[in-house]
Amino acid sequence: MTTVFDGKIRVLDLSMGWAGPLVGQMMAEMGAEVVKVEDTEHFDWWRGSLSVAPPEMQPIERSSVFNTVNRGKLGVTLDLANPSGVELVKRLAAVSDILIENYSPGVMDRFGLDYATLAAINPRLIMISMPSFGSNGPECNARGYGNTVEAMAGVTGLTGYEDSEQLYTLSNALGDPVGGLHGTFALMGALHERARTGRGQWIELAQVEALIPFVGQAIVESQFTGEVLPPRGNRHREHAPHGIYKCKGENTWLVLACESDADFRAAAEALGLAQLASDSRFLRAADRKAHEAALDAELNRALAAIELDDAVRRLTAAGLLAAAVNPAPGVLSDPQIAAREYFVAIDRAIVGTHLYPGAVARLPKTPLDASRPAPLLGEHTSEVFRRLLGMSDEEIAALENHGVTGTAPRRYKQAS
Amino acid sequence: MRYSALSDVRVVDLSHFIAGPYATKLLADMGAEVIKVEPPWGEGARRLGPFPHAAESKPPERGGLFAFLNQNKLGVTLDLKEARGRDLLTRLLEDADLLIENFAPGTLAAFGFAPDELLAKFPRLSIVSISNFGQDGPDRDSRLNDLVLFARGGWTYPVGEKDREPLTPPGSLAQYVGALYGAIGALQALAARDMGLGRGQHVDISLLEATVATMIYETVTFQYVGAMRERAGKRFAVGPFMIVTLKCRDGYAGLHCVTDKQFESLCDLIGRSELYIDPRFNTALQRMVNNDALLAIVEEFFLGRERQWLYREGQARAIPIVPIPNVAEVLEWEQTKARNYFETIDDPILGRVRVPGTPLRLNSHRPAPARPAPTLGQHNGEIFGSRLGVSPTQLEQMRKEQVR
Repeated sequence: MTTVFDGKIRVLDLSMGWAGPLVGQMMAEMGAEVVKVEDTEHFDWWRGSLSVAPPEMQPIERSSVFNTVNRGKLGVTLDLANPSGVELVKRLAAVSDILIENYSPGVMDRFGLDYATLAAINPRLIMISMPSFGSNGPECNARGYGNTVEAMAGVTGLTGYEDSEQLYTLSNALGDPVGGLHGTFALMGALHERARTGRGQWIELAQVEALIPFVGQAIVESQFTGEVLPPRGNRHREHAPHGIYKCKGENTWLVLACESDADFRAAAEALGLAQLASDSRFLRAADRKAHEAALDAELNRALAAIELDDAVRRLTAAGLLAAAVNPAPGVLSDPQIAAREYFVAIDRAIVGTHLYPGAVARLPKTPLDASRPAPLLGEHTSEVFRRLLGMSDEEIAALENHGVTGTAPRRYKQAS
Repeated sequence: MRYSALSDVRVVDLSHFIAGPYATKLLADMGAEVIKVEPPWGEGARRLGPFPHAAESKPPERGGLFAFLNQNKLGVTLDLKEARGRDLLTRLLEDADLLIENFAPGTLAAFGFAPDELLAKFPRLSIVSISNFGQDGPDRDSRLNDLVLFARGGWTYPVGEKDREPLTPPGSLAQYVGALYGAIGALQALAARDMGLGRGQHVDISLLEATVATMIYETVTFQYVGAMRERAGKRFAVGPFMIVTLKCRDGYAGLHCVTDKQFESLCDLIGRSELYIDPRFNTALQRMVNNDALLAIVEEFFLGRERQWLYREGQARAIPIVPIPNVAEVLEWEQTKARNYFETIDDPILGRVRVPGTPLRLNSHRPAPARPAPTLGQHNGEIFGSRLGVSPTQLEQMRKEQVR
């Protein structure tokens, strides 16, 4: 045995974007066989994300984000607007353990692929639906993406500088990966239950509901105090300094947090600012909070003369909470991340070799495998239909002739 | 909320603060029995707010965060520095499937519970360790807080105004991400055991790596396009799209306008359909080049409208626009109400509090009301006495000695 599932689990992944595909990707990391189904017209819209390359450059195979969250999957094309396409999904569902979808509510029903229909074919099938705001309720048809889900979960309302009312969206569309992580967790639980009961089930996961717990503390606080505090920026309620400071040079930002008076004395010492530690305005935490603007100004003045690397080295050597605010290259070369060989290099057709985030959980006896590339559009259609459905080459060729499958996009479209 | 999916799973939970306790909350909500083991003085999160009254008791039994994160768990107290405490923990582990912990690396071994030895002694047990940086590496023992985690993991650099310092994300969001990876890791170890491996293993989760894992725009996209994403103010990023938070008459609204179709609908919404064929904006590339001019037009329109109007009219045209709520408004959002998402707990210390419910609906199943978080040592009698057979006299003696 080399992986968690050892090839014993098959997943049919009808999802698009990030949240749903991440579930399939994590299943593939565990050694499940994951068949990603796309349409040659309505292919996964994340293939078009961030790319403005012309058609002859095959832009749909050059999406950094698609190529990340679809790793390790087999790529199959099927036209779900065509009854034979729907029929083939049913045949694949009959030999699968899991089906992942994140269409808008009601779309699977319209395809005739609702859970009741599929469970009648395969009672062991576990299906997960991941609508943005839920499959029922007055706002269930509202359109949501990672950023808008993040806003409706209350995260955006907490994100802003302490001295301005402008709100900001996070940098990583957090609603998407969090939806995917919850979805993976749910499927693992449902598989565990199926081993005991022999039956599958339908799981509904509203992405916004997966993210709201992350601000649970603020939600409880609003009930206790009857008010909602404005965003605090980089500052802390009790501690100072607690912020982001500019060092010498371009794009050189330092985070520094002192959680005690001893921390502050050590930080002042490490930066050669012993006079700050004895300044009566900065002696105790309450003093420093009361004079936080003056303290931050002193730190910015001093740090403007110090190289970022040097400041980080001095402060962390003193056991303090400090780090560079990492832009992309900093994350890729972070010594701790590199020492644990977190990133994996993958050579993917069309785009070549890049580093991708590795699997997070380290399972020494059944390591996760995040090193297999994402499929090209329809790359494995013939192989999958031949092996899983016993179709002949003629039958497969007929499907392509009728436009039910294919390897070329019927039109180019953009991300949504 | 409880489901039955994991009703045959027993978890011994040595974790504290957020990343460990949220992982075990996920397991408890799915039906696992979670025995939360705290030192006799309580884990650190009991002393974190929010508290309902300005003058909370000292030391506090619990605050709102603890009450939320530890629902549905059984609570016992043990002093692992004492022989009797270690002995009772060993007995709890005898029929446990999972041990979850988020101590600093090496702490568990220092208590006499080296992971390798535990796995040898209890072959069915898996251990999930959630730590700041993982169980090895040069920074294994370094300190970490939310500010550092976000910054180092790449979330902070692209957020905020271009001409001032980057803006950190709020709260402890990345710790919850780490918790999810921990909960998944726990079930991965169980699945591996039950599907053929036959034995447990020690799962290692690094909060820093979990944070990086959710930042694919920076790490992977940077390599593909060869350019760093810089802070773009109210914009998510500079690009051929408009993902922005815009001021409106009564607050802020979020707009996600990416496709030609969404742009056409946006032009209709703002009553400027000529913009759709305007050569400055009629392709994705042009909208990227002339993003400032386009944004200025959209901004002015939003400024004169109310959030709900923009939401209704935008969504009616299939444009993803949302009225950005504060957390109190999330509690009152009709959608969460219609789905009975928030759950009222009747907490023995804090009273009635509404907390986020489980996001998982299995077979549309309506879950039973949650059990409030345990008071300190609430289930000592039940677990040590009834289950492990410690006599009432011994329990009383232990209480006096504060071993538990």
